[in-house]
Amino acid sequence: MNSVNLPLAVYIVDDESPARHRIKELLSDCQLQLPLELIGEASNGIDALEQLSTLNADVVLVDIRMPQMDGIELAQHLNKLEKPPVIIFTTAFDNYAIQAFEQHAVDYLLKPIRLGRLFEALTRARAAVPIRSEILQELTPEARKNLSIQERGKIILIPIEKILYLRAELKYITVRTEEREYLAEEPLGSLEKEFAARFIRIHRNCLVAKDEIESFEKTGDDGAETHWTVKLKGLDEKLPISRRQQYIVKEFKKY
Amino acid sequence: MPEVQSINQNLWPDALPNFRNLGATLRIVLWVNGIALFAAIVQSASVAEIVQRFIDGSAFIQPVLLSSLLLLYGLKDILARLIYWQGAASVIFLVVVTTLIIAYFGGDLFASSQGNASFYVWRNALLSGAMAVLILAYFRLRAMSLSTALHRARLQALQARIRPHFLFNSINAVLSIVRADPKQAESALEDMADLFRMAMTDTRKMVMLSHEIALSRQYLALEKLRLGERLTESWQIDTSLNDALVPPLMLQPLLENAVYHGIEPLEKGGIIDIKLFKKGQDIHLEIKNPCHAHRGKHNGHKMALENIRERLALQFDVEAKYTVECGEDFYHVHIQMPYIKEERHEQR
Repeated sequence: MNSVNLPLAVYIVDDESPARHRIKELLSDCQLQLPLELIGEASNGIDALEQLSTLNADVVLVDIRMPQMDGIELAQHLNKLEKPPVIIFTTAFDNYAIQAFEQHAVDYLLKPIRLGRLFEALTRARAAVPIRSEILQELTPEARKNLSIQERGKIILIPIEKILYLRAELKYITVRTEEREYLAEEPLGSLEKEFAARFIRIHRNCLVAKDEIESFEKTGDDGAETHWTVKLKGLDEKLPISRRQQYIVKEFKKY
Repeated sequence: MPEVQSINQNLWPDALPNFRNLGATLRIVLWVNGIALFAAIVQSASVAEIVQRFIDGSAFIQPVLLSSLLLLYGLKDILARLIYWQGAASVIFLVVVTTLIIAYFGGDLFASSQGNASFYVWRNALLSGAMAVLILAYFRLRAMSLSTALHRARLQALQARIRPHFLFNSINAVLSIVRADPKQAESALEDMADLFRMAMTDTRKMVMLSHEIALSRQYLALEKLRLGERLTESWQIDTSLNDALVPPLMLQPLLENAVYHGIEPLEKGGIIDIKLFKKGQDIHLEIKNPCHAHRGKHNGHKMALENIRERLALQFDVEAKYTVECGEDFYHVHIQMPYIKEERHEQR
């Protein structure tokens, strides 16, 4: 890192204000030995994302259990930033997360946080690299509530329940909502696994939202070459179903 | 100490069944008639004969059964004061005497057409004595099996009652105010001590409802310390309940559930509605809280609720009711249990 001599820029995200207050007290205790600067705080993930796209944080202390967006999802979105910060998770008690953290050697702090532990974590953070997104995904059994993409330096969140289909195109994935299309960079296979509750694969390169399926239509009248397409609610476009995935037509007809 | 000496129905397994509990009475009636029916089947050669024999038998069994139950209902307090084996012996003795008296006064009504009349009198006394032994044994076995459930419940109770999540977050919240407001930090720690003391007490002893309420308020004060404005509470308490006794830690764990699963996941928080009122001879407890529409139910939720359900069943058998309504965006728990006053055990 080229900013060794600059103070460490720290940002806090926690939904409980006493918890943030406590971390601030500890940070000022650390300041005696470690040059650092508190550049901001937020009580939820959405505000944090908004602010952190303009602020350049070195380290973000993130509470895991928060309403609206949990800390692990926030970390995944923060990874889309041009210069992703180092994340240190904080939690009071979360068996699942702690086991996962140990397994993947991800740094975390248990609340109440000890000054010594915080100091160590911050010292290490200078040299640390951000946690890889694949690992972040394995830290939680829950799927994200949003996909995030970077557009002109800003992080845009697309709520999963707004997405109609996901289609792989060369390097990118087209994320289609009723209003518009976005380009995301995530492997379709891992999206399929993460959001199995919402999407179903209709083609090698396409996942559609199960609840948004309006109808199935048969196209192409020339004998053997007929195939099925899916029409989604609110979209005129018809998406082809591959031969291998045709069984889903039958499965859906049952309902 | 706010705890009151346990009332009789709460001592297991070395206790007679509570003869004033609807559930216990029902069980006795069912067992006696079941065995009578079985005896009729054994003796009979056709369905018609089974019915006939059962009716013949009932003519004698029902009066004995009902008067014994009445007698035990009346003498419950006296019996419960005896040591278990004395109590059991008294119950058997009472049943046998009742049988003899009814046989004596019933006279010819019950005398069999053939055979020796006095033989029948003594045979019936022996049979009803045996029946009493059987039923007491049944209740003892049941109490024993339930008491292992109770031990298990107590083991997991600490976890179910005071969530680690709550413990550590509260300690953290207290730490955050230690420097700025030592006074408030002190009272918060005192509240925590009370909560933990309560969590470690004997859950079989009934406590004053007013004490439960005070404890729950302390709990909510602690949660407010860290959740701030997100948590609002609304209490509606019927003043006629001031002297009521309830099983301990019934209210607080439900509130903890409401906070953990209802208020915390909501960014704006919400109101927990608590209603306590008396209707007829029952206490009603209602807790309603908003919850996140898309949230699935968590296991922790069920664990705390299971624990309460189990304890209610142990304490009140069929006399307590417990219902949960899980709506789109709200969660509603309703508990109904017998109203028991402090000191005397005149709950019916």
